[in-house]
Amino acid sequence: MIVAAALCASPPLLHPALTGREAVVPALRAACAEAVARLLQAGPEVVVVIGPGPVTSEWDPGGRFDPGTFGRGAAAGHGPAGGALPLSLGLGVMLLEQGGYRGARRLMAIGADEPASACAALGAELAAGATRTALLVMGDGSARRSLKAPGHLDPRAEPFDAAVEAAVRGGRLGALLELDEALARELMATGRPAWQVLAGAVPEDGSVVDVLYRDDPFGVAYLVACAQLPR
Amino acid sequence: MSAAGPAEGGVLRLGRREFGPERRLVMAIVNRTPNSFYRPGLTWDPAVALERVHEVVAEGADILDIGGVPAKPPDDVDVREEIRRIVPFIAAVRVAYPDLIISADTWRHEVGREACAAGADMLNDTWGGWDPELAPVAAACGAALVCSHAGGVPPRTRPFRVAYDDVVRDVLATVLGLAARAVSAGVPPERIIIDPAHDFGKNTWHSLEITRRLGELTGTGWPVLVSLSNKDFIGETLDLPVDERVAGTLAATAVSAYLGARIFRAHEVRETRQVLDTVSAIQGSLAPARVVRGLA
Repeated sequence: MIVAAALCASPPLLHPALTGREAVVPALRAACAEAVARLLQAGPEVVVVIGPGPVTSEWDPGGRFDPGTFGRGAAAGHGPAGGALPLSLGLGVMLLEQGGYRGARRLMAIGADEPASACAALGAELAAGATRTALLVMGDGSARRSLKAPGHLDPRAEPFDAAVEAAVRGGRLGALLELDEALARELMATGRPAWQVLAGAVPEDGSVVDVLYRDDPFGVAYLVACAQLPR
Repeated sequence: MSAAGPAEGGVLRLGRREFGPERRLVMAIVNRTPNSFYRPGLTWDPAVALERVHEVVAEGADILDIGGVPAKPPDDVDVREEIRRIVPFIAAVRVAYPDLIISADTWRHEVGREACAAGADMLNDTWGGWDPELAPVAAACGAALVCSHAGGVPPRTRPFRVAYDDVVRDVLATVLGLAARAVSAGVPPERIIIDPAHDFGKNTWHSLEITRRLGELTGTGWPVLVSLSNKDFIGETLDLPVDERVAGTLAATAVSAYLGARIFRAHEVRETRQVLDTVSAIQGSLAPARVVRGLA
C-alpha cells in the first residue's frame, strides 16, 4: 500500500558536484530535501524511486550513478566512474541518502515511450499488497518554456505544465493519466511516464498535496511536491 | 599509414596555399546574420561586412569564415535564404582578395556547392556531418572540409542533459569516422581538418575537458581547428557575459595552441594572432620578430 508520495525535480544540476563554485538554485535543492524528509516521516518499509530511463526496467537497488558523465574534472571522486544508474534514479538515490534513509529501496526506470496504460498498470502493481510503500517520483515538465530554454520556446509548454501543476495541487494525481504522451515528448517533458506510474498507484482524488517548488529558472519546468494520500 | 590517415608530414592544403604542421592560422569570423550570439547584426549589412573583411585581413587573418545561420534557434533559415546571405558575399570577397582562403560555415551540401562555385576554398561544418552529401560536394569542388563532433544533436539545438562516459573518446570516434568518410568520398587527406566543436552538444565541463585533453586530438596527426571565441564555457567558467570573455578566450587559445591546435576561429583577430605568435615563439617554432636587447 502506498503511504506517501513525493514528486522531485530531476535535472543534472541538482547534483552538487556538477554546478561549479556557485550554489545554484538553492531553493530547488532545499525543496527536494524537504519533500524527501516528509516522505520518510511516513515510516515506509520500502521506498520506490521512479524516474525516466532508457527503457522500462528495474535496477539493482545498490546501483550507483556516475555524475562524471555530465562532467569530469571537479566531478571526479563524487561517484565511481562506470556507475550506470540513469540520471533520475541516481538523483533519487542521492536525495534518499542525503535524507539519511538506509532502508529498503527499489529503483524503477520508465522508458520515454511507455504508454499511459502500461505506466498505470505498473503503478497499480506497486500499490497492491500490504507493504508500506513510499513513492519518490523523479521527473520534470517541459524544457521548452523560454527563448533561452534548452528546447527553445514552444507556446504549448505553459498550458501543458499548468495542467500538470493543477492536477497535482488539486490532489487529483489520477488525472495525470490524461497527459498527452506525444505532446509531452515534443515538449521535452521527461516526467510524463513517471508521473503516470504515480497516477496508476494513486488513481483516486483526495490527496492533500503541498507544492514546495514550481519554477523554471532555466526554461525547464521543475515541480516539487509531497502528497498525503486519501485514507 | 592507412589509406584514411592524415597527410604525410602533417601538410594542410587550403585553396592554393600549403601549410606545415607548425603554422598556426587565424580564421576570422564574419557572420552574415542579424542575430548571432556575439555582437549580433554587426556585419549584416554587406557593405559593413566587407569593411570588416578589410579590417581582419589587415589584422592578420589567414582564413575568412563566412556563415549565414546562427548556431542557436530561432528563426528558420532555409537553404535559399542561407545561400542569399553568403554566396554573393563570398563572390565579392573573392574578387577583392583573390588569394585569401575563404571558408563557408555551413552544414548543408546545397549551400556548400554554391559557396564553392562562388570561390570558397573550405567548408566548415560544425554540426558533425549531419548532411552526408557535404563531403562529396567538398570532394567535387576541391574544397577542404572540417569534420566536427556535435554529440549527434540536430543542427541549431542546444544541449539537453548530454552525457558521455568519455567525451574525448566520443569526439575522436566521431571526427575520425567523418575524416575516413571524407577520404572515401574523395576529399584528399591534406584537405581534411578535425574540430571537437566546443559547446556543441557539450556542456561546460565537457568543453573544458576536451581543451585539457586536446593533445589526444592533435596526436592523431590530423590538423585540429578550435572555435573558442567568447563561448559559453568561457562565460560559465568566469561567470562573465558574452562581451567580457576575451581574456578567457585568449587563455583557452594559448592552451590549445600549446597542445598543438592549428586553426583558431576567432572574433578578436589581432589579439588571437598575438597569442599564437607568442606561443609559437615559446615553443621555438617561430623566431621572435626582433631581438637586440642584451645583444648590443
